[in-house]
Amino acid sequence: MTKKHLLGERLRFASLLAGTAMAAALAAPVLAEEAPITIVINQSPWFPGFQSVVELYEETTGNTVELDVNPFAGSLEKQRTAVRTDESPFDLLIMNAGFFVEFYKGGFMDALTDIDPEFKLSDEIYDFDESVCWDATAETVTCGGDGKLTAIPVNPNILIMHYRADLYEENGLEVPKTWDELMANAQVLNDQPKIYGISQRGQRGAFDVTYDVFPYIWSHGGGIFKDQKAGDFTITINSPETLAGMETYLKLASEVGHPSTAGQTQTNVIQNMATGKAAHIQSVLAPGLFDDPNQSAVVGNVNYAATPASKDFPAATPLGHWLAGVPKNVPDDRKAAALAFLTWFQTPEAQEAYARAGSAPVSRAVMEGPMSETEEFRWMKALSEAIPTAGLTFLIPEASQVLAVTELRFNEAIGGQLELKEALNTAAKEIAKIMTDAGYDAPMLDELK
Amino acid sequence: MKSDNFWRYATLAPAVILFVLLTILPLFNLLALSFHDVEWLNREAVWEWVGARNYARLPEDTLFNAGILNTIIFAVLAVAFQMVLGFWLALMTTRVTRLRVFYRAVFILPILVPGIIIGAIWKLMYSYDFGVINQTIMFLGGNPVDWLGNPNLSLMSVIIVDVWHWTPFCFLLMLASLESLPTDIFEAAEIDGATKGQVLRHIILPLMMPAIIVTFIFRMILAFKVFDEIYLLTGGGPGTSTEVISFTIYRRFFTEDQSGYGSAMSLATIAVIATLIILASRFATKKGPEA
Repeated sequence: MTKKHLLGERLRFASLLAGTAMAAALAAPVLAEEAPITIVINQSPWFPGFQSVVELYEETTGNTVELDVNPFAGSLEKQRTAVRTDESPFDLLIMNAGFFVEFYKGGFMDALTDIDPEFKLSDEIYDFDESVCWDATAETVTCGGDGKLTAIPVNPNILIMHYRADLYEENGLEVPKTWDELMANAQVLNDQPKIYGISQRGQRGAFDVTYDVFPYIWSHGGGIFKDQKAGDFTITINSPETLAGMETYLKLASEVGHPSTAGQTQTNVIQNMATGKAAHIQSVLAPGLFDDPNQSAVVGNVNYAATPASKDFPAATPLGHWLAGVPKNVPDDRKAAALAFLTWFQTPEAQEAYARAGSAPVSRAVMEGPMSETEEFRWMKALSEAIPTAGLTFLIPEASQVLAVTELRFNEAIGGQLELKEALNTAAKEIAKIMTDAGYDAPMLDELK
Repeated sequence: MKSDNFWRYATLAPAVILFVLLTILPLFNLLALSFHDVEWLNREAVWEWVGARNYARLPEDTLFNAGILNTIIFAVLAVAFQMVLGFWLALMTTRVTRLRVFYRAVFILPILVPGIIIGAIWKLMYSYDFGVINQTIMFLGGNPVDWLGNPNLSLMSVIIVDVWHWTPFCFLLMLASLESLPTDIFEAAEIDGATKGQVLRHIILPLMMPAIIVTFIFRMILAFKVFDEIYLLTGGGPGTSTEVISFTIYRRFFTEDQSGYGSAMSLATIAVIATLIILASRFATKKGPEA
């Protein structure tokens, strides 16, 4: 080939490449109907499923969604900073159940129905104790009265009991309905250091150990406050009922639990189940993980049930769900794009895809539909059974300060640095001070003796 | 002369302006914040004057007290080990003739690894169930140790990681100083029949004292700011056993969103740490020449 011919070939090839690139660049905006949006989200066990659904949304609609992924506390800080600036870089905030009131009450979130009066929460989507609505006049979470739809749930993060179905079958055990039954089953399966009867999260964090002890204390009639929804902030963390709940937690930990319960994170707990080192865990769902042969040594052997009850009180689990809301300081075109995503996210197709990607959906119809009858989605029944027992943990913007107290004191009680009654009495005094300083009427109970 | 003075100040001005903008103003802002509580209502920050209340809260704060105490223990122990190890390694390396470059490269490796990766590596190594340390102990017939979950062990476990991470820093500075010492003094000492111990005590240590003091001050400042290792390894727990002050400030200021109280805590900490470092370096400087 002559030099002239070679040059001509190269030019032709270069023009072809340039043409293809231009066509691809032009094609994308033609497909996309909405402005690109950015979602700030935390890295949780359910995140990979959400990521898959976002990718599906992009493929289906041609719209662009960027995910800003952070650790739990890092996500909260980024969200705070974003809503306090002139223009938020994030169009959707994925807010945790422990902190969303701070964003509602601070006036940072736009009611979704103010952005588009036609927008609504699908009848099939759970409202999670009405946490999706905010009444700005009454300053409370309610869908009645002046309450407006302010967020859409994206994940039903609640604690579910995971147990080794294969070991249950081998030993002829029944799924426990009470803590006593769980203890009895855990004692049968406990064979340390090979396998722990139960692995519980006990480490301090932003909302870690407190979240995991709620099923114990609520199912014994205890709590941190008497009735937040009714405005009764009497401190009940040192009530005899809370004490009974914590004693149940500690009894399991000391007799059949992990030797390092005070140092166990959520990752450790899930890891213990996935590697076959735990017979039971109470954890948020990560079903895709346990049935993935690349990540699990117990594929097909983990089954799920609602958390147990005590003999005097019904089972109860804390809502640690995640809500997607649109900040006020976002341009209108991006608000519309965020709503377009939330509308699509509520569709049965999206919810089913979400479940298939390994995360729990927020659609009642999917959770109770034909998918729940299959082996792959056996966890859906436990989840739909547990959701009606789930309650909101904090309805005050001071939640993070109260959590700093409970995280420390519960952890100290679990690690044996403080005697349980002393830990609860100390926590009560510290919480009372936070609440009183913030202007609440927060009476205390008599100290535990 | 007048013109000289003008240019002297004019050339200094950009640096002074930058210093004021980046250091002094934020400190004043912190000071102002420390006398207020900040609340957000209808997207507006509402500053409420609270006088010295935020400072008065400090002595009663469990995390602040534990943070200060643990930080001092952490800094003193970690830096002491790093200084001794760094000095010893530097001394050994200068005496080695074969594979000298190889040893130096190996010794400085940990300092090149980012803190976040170090935290992840050591968290895996310390893991109760799956960590290589406990696996080795069990292989040798022992019982697993709860390195990070036992309040009596956790701070020491974190100190070990910090020593591993930062000893190379001390090693590098000490090595540079050691290699720049004049050789004729050592030759004279050898002719005079001085033992190795005498050379170390009466020649090497006094001559290296300025480098030792600088290394010590650098390391103390950095040790007081420890954050990433604690954040990744223990989160300050169990209980308050590994709570360090930078982590407490982060928690109060950012996670709990108490910017006023967090500012008071920051300023009080700056005062405490600056005082301690000044006292320590004065003590070291005074002791130095006599040694």
